[in-house]
Amino acid sequence: MANIKDLKKKIKSTKGTLKITSAMKLVSAAKLAKAQQAIVSSRPYANELETTIKTISALVENYTHEYLEEKDSNHEVLLVISSNKGLCGGYNSLLAKEVRKYLANTDKDVKVYFIGKKVREVIQKEVNFGKDYQFEKSDPSFLELEGVGKELAQMFKSGEVGTVKVAYNQFNTAISFTPMVKQLLPISMNVEEKMELEEKFPFDFKYEPAPSEILNTLIPETFSTTLYTCLLDGVAAEHGSRMAAMDNAVTNCKEAIRAQTLKMNKLRQAAITTELIEVVSGAESLNG
Amino acid sequence: MNYFTVDLLTPEKVVARGIPAESLLIPTVRGQINILPHHTHLINRLSTGVLSIFGGADDPDRHFSVTYGICKVLEDKIIIMSHTSEEQSEISLERAEQALENAEKHLSSGEALSDQEIQKFQLKVERAKLRIQLSKQ
Repeated sequence: MANIKDLKKKIKSTKGTLKITSAMKLVSAAKLAKAQQAIVSSRPYANELETTIKTISALVENYTHEYLEEKDSNHEVLLVISSNKGLCGGYNSLLAKEVRKYLANTDKDVKVYFIGKKVREVIQKEVNFGKDYQFEKSDPSFLELEGVGKELAQMFKSGEVGTVKVAYNQFNTAISFTPMVKQLLPISMNVEEKMELEEKFPFDFKYEPAPSEILNTLIPETFSTTLYTCLLDGVAAEHGSRMAAMDNAVTNCKEAIRAQTLKMNKLRQAAITTELIEVVSGAESLNG
Repeated sequence: MNYFTVDLLTPEKVVARGIPAESLLIPTVRGQINILPHHTHLINRLSTGVLSIFGGADDPDRHFSVTYGICKVLEDKIIIMSHTSEEQSEISLERAEQALENAEKHLSSGEALSDQEIQKFQLKVERAKLRIQLSKQ
């Protein structure tokens, strides 16, 4: 049976937790607004760029770029983008689960690279660990990420690996995200997509300069933009997920405080009642 | 009037979406081109310069700075993808002048710059000059 003093202590500590979680919620909400803005406004560009190069490469015949070539290597690189900090709900655990599922179902020899330490800590021991990227700030800049991209692309170009994939959390809304694995290289199109594009554009475009020249500059750019968009998605999803988790924590804290206060009051009343009865019955016995 | 719409996208933000226009001037690597309604399908590389959108009688004319990128002309939809882009009214003359001064100082200071850095500062000078020119118009 808990006594009043213990309960008081417990309530005080829960109140402390409540303060921390509500502060974290506010911080995440502010960061989320910024991250959401970044991803929402950069997605159209990335999507449009991808469609454009797919269209051009579908329409232009006899064009090959090293990023488009399918290689028959059985090796693969998977870059996992997770967060450096915890306390963000299912953000990291769901991503780790997705990566595990992917690794279990693939027959390729996958090497796993990491950005962000949380998922790495969980699954590093069970996978073929490749490399871990660390940046000064928690969110790498476009240039830093481009360096990572170049390294991965180099491995693909040299034929060391046949595919480059990235695992990240795609941001949907402030409270929802989807963990997914996306192929970065080769930039490939399935046959249906190609047919659809050919139907949509029965004519060819007029190019200036030559299409091969445009593609030569666009394709590497698409690769780095896509990678960067994945990262922005991840960052926004992280803040969203943390905000939701902290919101839950705040609700739980308030509920806990309410329940404990009620219990404490009941105990106090019981103690007072017992004392009164003792006093009254003591007086009665004197009179008797 | 025959209208088409213009989308202007950059990696950082959607600068403009669905601006109605009846004529458009685009700076491309092979010189400036003029797009009118029902233009043939076109994919061109952009060069650093001023992109002018003429709205005709009902809509205002708008001018944007654009840098490296491409433009895609479809039947009634034109998509401009540029690395950076600013509307005339958003450009801060002060900041542009500051940037120009900085970049020129680096170029003329005789520092040991790598080829990449020289190129970077030359591009900065080019962009700053463009913004100054545009904001003074």
